[in-house]
Amino acid sequence: MILCLSLVVAMLPFASACAPKSQPAKVLKVGMMNPTTGPAAEKGSVMTHANLDAIKYVNDELGGVGGYLIEPLPLDSRYDATQAVTIVKRFMDEGCLLFTTASSKEMSAAMESANREGFPGIACFSSPVLYRPPMHIYGQTPDYGDDALAFANFYMKNIWKGQGKPKFALHLLNNPTGYGARDAFRARADELGIEIVSTDEHAATTISEMESLTRIKEKQPDVLFISSTPAPTAVIIKNAKDLGMYPGVTIGCAHASFTKKLIDLAGADVVEGVYGAFPTVLWGEDVPGMAKMTEYCQKLHSDDYENMDYITSWAQSLIVAKILELAVGDAGYDVLSKGDMAAWRDVEAQGIQKLKGYDVGGLQGPVSYTAGDNRLTKYNRVYRIVDGKIADPSEWVEAPLIKYEDFEWFGK
Amino acid sequence: MNLPCGTRNYDYARDMAVLRTRTHWALLVVLLVVVFTAPLYLSNYWLGVANLIGITIIAAIGLNILIGYCGQLSIGHAGFMAVGAYTTAVLTNKLGFPFLAGLICSGFSAGLIGLIFGIPSVRVKGFYLAITTIAAQFIIIWIINHWSSVTGGFVGISVPYASIGGIEFKHDASQFYLITSITAVCILFAKNLARGRIGRAFIAVRDNDLAAEVMGINLLYYKLLAFFIGCFLAGIAGSLFAHWTGFLNAENFTLTDSILYIGMVIVGGLGTTIGPILGVVLIRLLQQGIMYISPLLESTFPAIPAGFTSGIGPMVFGLVIVLFLILEPRGLAHRWTLFKAAYRLWPFSY
Repeated sequence: MILCLSLVVAMLPFASACAPKSQPAKVLKVGMMNPTTGPAAEKGSVMTHANLDAIKYVNDELGGVGGYLIEPLPLDSRYDATQAVTIVKRFMDEGCLLFTTASSKEMSAAMESANREGFPGIACFSSPVLYRPPMHIYGQTPDYGDDALAFANFYMKNIWKGQGKPKFALHLLNNPTGYGARDAFRARADELGIEIVSTDEHAATTISEMESLTRIKEKQPDVLFISSTPAPTAVIIKNAKDLGMYPGVTIGCAHASFTKKLIDLAGADVVEGVYGAFPTVLWGEDVPGMAKMTEYCQKLHSDDYENMDYITSWAQSLIVAKILELAVGDAGYDVLSKGDMAAWRDVEAQGIQKLKGYDVGGLQGPVSYTAGDNRLTKYNRVYRIVDGKIADPSEWVEAPLIKYEDFEWFGK
Repeated sequence: MNLPCGTRNYDYARDMAVLRTRTHWALLVVLLVVVFTAPLYLSNYWLGVANLIGITIIAAIGLNILIGYCGQLSIGHAGFMAVGAYTTAVLTNKLGFPFLAGLICSGFSAGLIGLIFGIPSVRVKGFYLAITTIAAQFIIIWIINHWSSVTGGFVGISVPYASIGGIEFKHDASQFYLITSITAVCILFAKNLARGRIGRAFIAVRDNDLAAEVMGINLLYYKLLAFFIGCFLAGIAGSLFAHWTGFLNAENFTLTDSILYIGMVIVGGLGTTIGPILGVVLIRLLQQGIMYISPLLESTFPAIPAGFTSGIGPMVFGLVIVLFLILEPRGLAHRWTLFKAAYRLWPFSY
């Protein structure tokens, strides 16, 4: 019986594969890949909800785009590279006009197949490898290198009052989250007028960084920049406090760790005054897009309320809608409805590359395409933890373009 | 032996033939027709799934030689695949090697690395050997991530299309033919290996290594040979995977993948040629099936707590493996054997 059940489930996909194709309705199809199962499901589920809630809002309340409804095709990547490769092929097969991913891992697996066919994709969280050199993949939010540079820019303008170059110590997660920051500093430290005095790595499972911080302390840095996830960041800040480094040194964090979870894990008193870069506004801020997003979130997925990932993915869907609106306006529905290479070319040329200053209801930095730069948003805000809450937002800080491919040490 | 009622072999060559009856030949022709016309009726997505199945079958066959025939537990198979994948990436991308040279070198490099990590198998077995192969997984991935001047490190490395004699395998259909052909060669190789002298030595080592040694089988040689062949095939699979995806980073080769390969071999049936094929097809299609079911459940039953369906995939895989271990430890291959036995005895199968 078990064998039969397993076989039935395994054969299910064939049922749809062999089913007759239905007549296409007047819709614009978009592929949405998120890790709703697997190790990143905690983020992926919320991001899927936000993606779909925003599309529902666009379809129900705005009448779609250019009079055509958006039909999302949400698929679970399981945070698995091989699955991502097969999914992007399915998006192309099913006539999707573009596709989105939640993470840079999914996109790095899918991008080669997409680039080879000219199929445009937008990654919510991104890293430079996705679009350096720029092809058909775009980043919705600034990457981990941009976080580092945005924070460094902010520090130089608003905090640094000393003479000469401030000393930066880097504490980086041993994966692209950390290495994005390392590469950005490697490329721009001199230009920013900062000195990197140490670069240390840590694992996601670290439980103590006393040893590395002791070495760092001896170098008397002005800034400790951490590009990591919440748990290791909490360990590092707690250790820095135990060693008497903090308060004293300025601590800055990249966006992957700068969430409520960091405060919960480290304790509000420990992380008081810590700075962090983040690409969206906070829940409850007075921006035009907040009310509608909050309404849909509380109505459809109230458990996701106050989750920052919801904001980024809601914004991602709104950007997709804007792209389709521009593309359908210029290229026309008949061209786009084919969902083929010509349609993808038009979505890119008439949609993505026509984005100029789209403000996404103020939920994130303005969205613009600049030739040669596939980061659709170049802006981060720097926040500070005050009274146990992420607060005190700065103005939007621009992260400059780095042509990583010009550096020999950049891979690919 | 193993022939339908009334069928006999009259010489050794016919007795040893893989295809022995007209039905076998007819089924082969049907299979070839189905395979070679597949791109006509399968979409690119399903061709992609078929390509992934083909690549995984090669890796699983290698693991089956190691675990199923020779009894050497390896939990680092994805790491050995990574060696093959990165070898082909570096050779074809940076050094301009042709695809076939990269493919063969990938097999040899993975085989040689497998030999190194196989050396402890001479002294340890079972769980202890499993731990040493887990070490292989971690060490290989660490080196890939940190030897960035060669491997691209965390950033990754591009891999060009496979090409043979000016023919570039750009599209899923052409890749399907390439991967299917190489998979068929690997299956035939494994089939012949298993029923030859080497295969019999592997089985003797698996069943009782002391007894095998007493019989004159060189344990060091055959255990290392099993590691070499198993990892050679993993390297070939890695190379094809690299050309298929077009871009590599170490996240494509996780410990979870290594465990999944073991699950596939167990579900299919250890120590059989058909087992890994059936196991891979079942598990890969299950993955696709779950991809359809999860969102369907969430939309059909909105009362299900958010995120509940995220556990379906891991739960189903765990359940399938556990239930197979309890209820059908010999895997799908055994069911296939029972079916063939019933067919051979038909119409007197009772």
